[in-house]
Amino acid sequence: MTDSSITMRTSADIPASGAAGLAGVAAKEAVAAKPGGKGGGRRVRSFTADVSAVGEPALWAFGGALALGIILIAGFLFMIFYNGMVTFWPKPIEVVTMRDGAVVAGEPTRSGTYRPGDNVLARMTEEQRDFVEENGGFSTRTLYRTANFDLYGDDFRWVSDFEVADVQQPTDFYFFERQEWGPFVGRVAGLVIDDAAIAYDSAIMQREQRAARARFAAIRGIEQGEIGRINYRLEQERLSIRRAQLRHGSGSAEALATAEAANARIAELNAEFAAQQQRVADIRTIDRRNRVILEEIGGRTKDTELSQIVRYYPANELSILDKIGIYFSRWGEFLTTEPREANTQGGVLPAIFGTVAMTLIMVVVVAPFGVVTALYLREYARQGRLVSIVRISVNNLAGVPSIVYGVFGLGFFAYTMGASIDQLFYPERLPSPTFGTGGILWASLTLALLTVPVVIVASEEALASVPRSMREGSLACGASKWQTIRYVVLPKAMPGIMTGLILAMARGAGEVAPLMLVGVVKLAPALPVDGFFPYIHLERSFMHLGFHIFDVGFQSRNSEAGKPMVFVTTLLLLALIVIMNSTAIYVRNRLKRKYASGQF
Amino acid sequence: MTEASAPDGGSETGEKVAARRTARAHERSKETRASVIYGESVAKWLITGGGLLVIFAVIGIMVFLVQVVVPLFFAGELRGRVVHDLGQPKEVAWINADEFQSLATSVSADGTVTTFHVGSGRLLASESLDFGGETATAVNGVLTRDRVAFGFEDGSVRFGRVGFDVTSVPRARAPTDLEQLNARDFLSGGAIFAQVQTGDYRRVAPVYEIGEAIAVSEAPIIAIDYRLGGTVERPTSAFVTVDAAGVARVSRSTIQRNLMTGQETVRTTTATLPALPSGTEVTSALMSAAADRVMIGTAEGLVYRYDIRDANNPVLAERRRVFDGDVAVTSLAYLNAELALVAGGSDGSVEVFFRLQRPGLDTADGFELVRARTHENQGAAVVGIGVAQRDKTFVTLDDAGGVWVRHSTSDQTLFKLERDGDPSIPGQVMLFPRTDGVLLVDDAGRAEAWAYDTPHPEVTLGVLFSRVWYEGYDSPGFTWQSTSGTDVFEPKYSLVPLIFGTLKATFYAMLFGVPIALMAAIYTSEFVHRRVRATVKPVMEMMESLPTVVLGFLAALVLAPLVEEWIAAVLLVFIALPMGLMIGAHLWQMLPLRTALRLGGIPKFLFMGAVILLSGLFSYQVGPAFEDLLFYGDFKQWTTGRIGTGTPFLFLIGLPLSFLLVSWAFSRRYGHHYRERLRALEKQSAGRLDFLRWIAMLAAAMLVSYVFASALTLIGYDPRGNVIDSYQQRNALVVGFVMAFAVIPNIYTLAEDALNSVPAHLRAGSLASGATPWQTAMWVILPTAASGVFSAVMIGMGRAVGETMIVVMAAGNTPIMEWNVFSGLRTLSANIAIELPEAVKDGTNYRTLFLAALTLFLMTFVINTVAELIRQRFRKRAFQL
Repeated sequence: MTDSSITMRTSADIPASGAAGLAGVAAKEAVAAKPGGKGGGRRVRSFTADVSAVGEPALWAFGGALALGIILIAGFLFMIFYNGMVTFWPKPIEVVTMRDGAVVAGEPTRSGTYRPGDNVLARMTEEQRDFVEENGGFSTRTLYRTANFDLYGDDFRWVSDFEVADVQQPTDFYFFERQEWGPFVGRVAGLVIDDAAIAYDSAIMQREQRAARARFAAIRGIEQGEIGRINYRLEQERLSIRRAQLRHGSGSAEALATAEAANARIAELNAEFAAQQQRVADIRTIDRRNRVILEEIGGRTKDTELSQIVRYYPANELSILDKIGIYFSRWGEFLTTEPREANTQGGVLPAIFGTVAMTLIMVVVVAPFGVVTALYLREYARQGRLVSIVRISVNNLAGVPSIVYGVFGLGFFAYTMGASIDQLFYPERLPSPTFGTGGILWASLTLALLTVPVVIVASEEALASVPRSMREGSLACGASKWQTIRYVVLPKAMPGIMTGLILAMARGAGEVAPLMLVGVVKLAPALPVDGFFPYIHLERSFMHLGFHIFDVGFQSRNSEAGKPMVFVTTLLLLALIVIMNSTAIYVRNRLKRKYASGQF
Repeated sequence: MTEASAPDGGSETGEKVAARRTARAHERSKETRASVIYGESVAKWLITGGGLLVIFAVIGIMVFLVQVVVPLFFAGELRGRVVHDLGQPKEVAWINADEFQSLATSVSADGTVTTFHVGSGRLLASESLDFGGETATAVNGVLTRDRVAFGFEDGSVRFGRVGFDVTSVPRARAPTDLEQLNARDFLSGGAIFAQVQTGDYRRVAPVYEIGEAIAVSEAPIIAIDYRLGGTVERPTSAFVTVDAAGVARVSRSTIQRNLMTGQETVRTTTATLPALPSGTEVTSALMSAAADRVMIGTAEGLVYRYDIRDANNPVLAERRRVFDGDVAVTSLAYLNAELALVAGGSDGSVEVFFRLQRPGLDTADGFELVRARTHENQGAAVVGIGVAQRDKTFVTLDDAGGVWVRHSTSDQTLFKLERDGDPSIPGQVMLFPRTDGVLLVDDAGRAEAWAYDTPHPEVTLGVLFSRVWYEGYDSPGFTWQSTSGTDVFEPKYSLVPLIFGTLKATFYAMLFGVPIALMAAIYTSEFVHRRVRATVKPVMEMMESLPTVVLGFLAALVLAPLVEEWIAAVLLVFIALPMGLMIGAHLWQMLPLRTALRLGGIPKFLFMGAVILLSGLFSYQVGPAFEDLLFYGDFKQWTTGRIGTGTPFLFLIGLPLSFLLVSWAFSRRYGHHYRERLRALEKQSAGRLDFLRWIAMLAAAMLVSYVFASALTLIGYDPRGNVIDSYQQRNALVVGFVMAFAVIPNIYTLAEDALNSVPAHLRAGSLASGATPWQTAMWVILPTAASGVFSAVMIGMGRAVGETMIVVMAAGNTPIMEWNVFSGLRTLSANIAIELPEAVKDGTNYRTLFLAALTLFLMTFVINTVAELIRQRFRKRAFQL
């Protein structure tokens, strides 16, 4: 990829394989087919083209390698795509009765064949052992998502086929998605509306659940809007006191005056804060009066506030339209809400936002740097040792492991530059760092360094593809070199440069390792952009789709519970990158065609 | 890429302007505007500067990393030194100082306590402890030095406390009569005050206490050691005493505090240790904190180790000569954590011993003292050892006035200090609690203190890159373990296991990746239709920017469990796949010419794909049978070495080699005849013959391989325990495979570019001369593009070396050094990603991790620079052809 300019120039047609490959054999056969000795005729020259010269086994090895690569890639993409797409499709709930009388209810997640070990076989009944033996020592097992983590202490359970006595899909089983504790699988035992217990009625439940969710949203709104604003202003007032103390010395008249004024405002804000808290508390009181009683398969009940139920559906009674509705509503939730349950449920909006914001800032930095270097290499530098060194440097920048950039970013950007910025501009917040720790700006700069070679190579290619005649025309009209570049070369090369930028974005969006060191977090308290001055907060840590995958897959309480989320996030990230890449390749191909016969 | 730079527009315009001006002077000015000329030069400088910025970026990264790493290797520097005359020439029994180097206390043998300010030498108080008129003949204390046991001339023992009380005083309540002692400290009411960052004051005041006498012996005590245990309510103290008669005793005292009266009752039980040989001159005694071991050092150069786990029945576990030759043990001390024993000898030797359990020992408890580290010889008898409370530093005092500060782990002498006073006057030496200075008080009443900075005493080049014998380990080794739960932990900073892990991961990745990538690149460039290439290439390019976090997630959560469950099938794939392709190729050779020609393009490629899928399916189906046949039904059991022999595995490994050997022998012996014979045949029958030859050769190779494997097994070689060992779910096989998946697109694209840029006329010439495409590819294209292909492999390797997310997620992250395919590993990059977020800025671990980054940087720098140089040469040559 770093050097496809060569490819471009020498894309002379290469003979198609197979036909030419057998040409030799054909020639030989043609010779052999000639009637042999016609008396003292000329001797027929023998061609040394035989089976071993065609190298069929080697060709198959080579072709096999390519096919293997393609199969692996296709399999990989298909797997991500399939798993990502089916995750949100509502599955039925099966109630499995075991041979020992135990009952399990859950969504069948996946199944596989395995060979029960000796210790498992030893624990089986005679009947079960026969069953397994009939299958050649193998058994099929299904992973059920039993949910109800708060009751069972686990989300999943494997059930082997030799244990199963009966499987049913009862219609009164519901799948509840809860705000906390993950999903619940079970029946509805009853409703409590306004502290009065009533029998379950689906219409009432539906109505009340909607109302409860609206209340939940209202609380969220107050907490994030009003209370967030008050907290922010409180913090500002405290900082202003500290700033005055630092500037004028503690105990000085100015500092005391500032402190007095700020304290007055703080008291005001605290009163306002209490008022908002009261509003929240009032809504909470109503919330607590509206509950639903859930009952799991074993008969244990769980009294839950209705506002905690994000979504519920009778899994075995759904029509196809219902299923589609649930499917898209889940996608909607995924794309537009914040995560819950330690990131294993809910949405990834902050991660999408963080990824996009970081990539955009990165592009702003990387674009001028990359283009200028490309201009230097292509338009200004004289070929020689210096250019060779620059090229080596570019390749080294491209080849240095990304984690090293992370180390550099942490040590240089955050700890060195950031600490100096803190000393100069944010002394009142010390010792807690503002820029002196990882943040979105440092992450963007680090990734800019990482992706600059991509931009350089692509821009160089684009500049090279601008026909010489255009440059010469411009110069002949009296334009200066810079004018030529500015008004003729750069506009023509712009699509190619854009290609480079898009490729850089694709590369940057997928990189995780350096971000782990320079500011990505599993749960960011605030987005880098909000309604408070200066609106864009470059020092804030952020969430990232790639890190989200790592975090949910490896650091959540149950990686199995997080897996569906990981697949969906992966699909999203991959889609993002594939779209960016395809755009870049499309633009590049168009560019190539446009200048293929670069004559006027 | 060479393109002449555009002609210089500026001067040309100037000439034209001059020419035209004479012609039509009345027209508008043709003068180049100043802004254009100005802009031109600004653009030139900016762009040149910007272009060169890339070089600065690379150099800048390297310089920055180096600059962070370098302080790691500074031994440290002395910050200052003070000498005070305390004016009380008395025999010093015990000294202690607080962690801020503000106060020091010296206790003399008659009980006089002198407390002075370290910085200025100002005496604070001079009191007396109640020694009951006796003179202390032996003193020793716990590691923190504030709990002390005094042994007296009359054979009694008293416990005391010589410590400091540190409190924080708000600024508003600080005393008003502060008297400045030095830049930091103030004196008021017998305590030192110092302002801390928040503006409040820290108050440091001395605390002393002395307990009741406990009669232990009749003779004067000559050596003592003391450890504290038990709970706060019921503290237990254990101590060992040796009296002048040569009797060693172990005693345990339990202090019971009556809650009502506040009165303390001390109950002491004493047991006598097995007697030392008569005439033994005991120089020192030591006891462990758990009160289970006692060490006694003698002037005869022996150390007696007692096992006192059974308090009523102590046994002599071991008697060991410590130094080579007739050298007396003059001092003994435990380093913190009490796993290492430091012994100082009369000839200046300083050695560190570990107590290790070894099979077949004849000592009473199965342990043995092993000399693990020999420190630099001090040249004169070591008379005092002071041990650091928080790390493995210690200070040794000799009788020629040398005060050497050493670090045990890194085996280096940090400072060689010289006493100011008369070296023959005995004194006491200690390290300040933060290990940032040395305090020495001698019997002439002279106090000396040195302050120093040693930010990273535990790291040297030797520690990082060679074997170090760590406390509690059986033998020297390469170990990485930078943090632990306890304070008394010895950090282990060997980069070798990490570098090893990096190389191992890279090796397995390249093992899988390079053949597939290169073969695929050759096939794409030489044997497929242009249109196929136009689709495959961009897809591969897109795979290059695939986030590796996705691959890591798949490797760890999907692939690793799958491979674990189907390990036999996975192993079978490695055989079935090439076999399947070879069978496919030979069957293809048997096709009639016309059919072969007609199906030559994309259908043939599809057949290849089908063969691969079939091989996979075959492996899946036959895997269990394969496991039964070769690995006794359980591969994982087999790898541990518990069942079966190594023959089946050696057979499999030997198969490709044997095949090469057999085919080499065949072509050597019959190659010419065989080819002659093939030529004489029709294509189809030639194909059949070739197939038979292949089958025969395969059978021969199997035989050879089996004989070879059996022979190796007979002579006792077993690959298990070496390349094959017990199976872990997250292992090098999975990591290698997935990392190969990550580097294949990289190598493929670059190699394909290199192959493709071989000038078309070479290809045409070769084909026109009658060579088959296969011959052209192998003997014309590949040699020409070899350097470009090589540089592609190098760049791929650079990427594998630095790959982070896949290894973090799928490699298990155990820093072990074994080539076992089925065990985990920890690479430099994974180590950085895991530990750097928690490392304290500018701490040892932080700098060591930067060194790891620098190592990675240099590894890839070398690889990439070489690759780029080769590529530049190749490019030049390719255009010359």
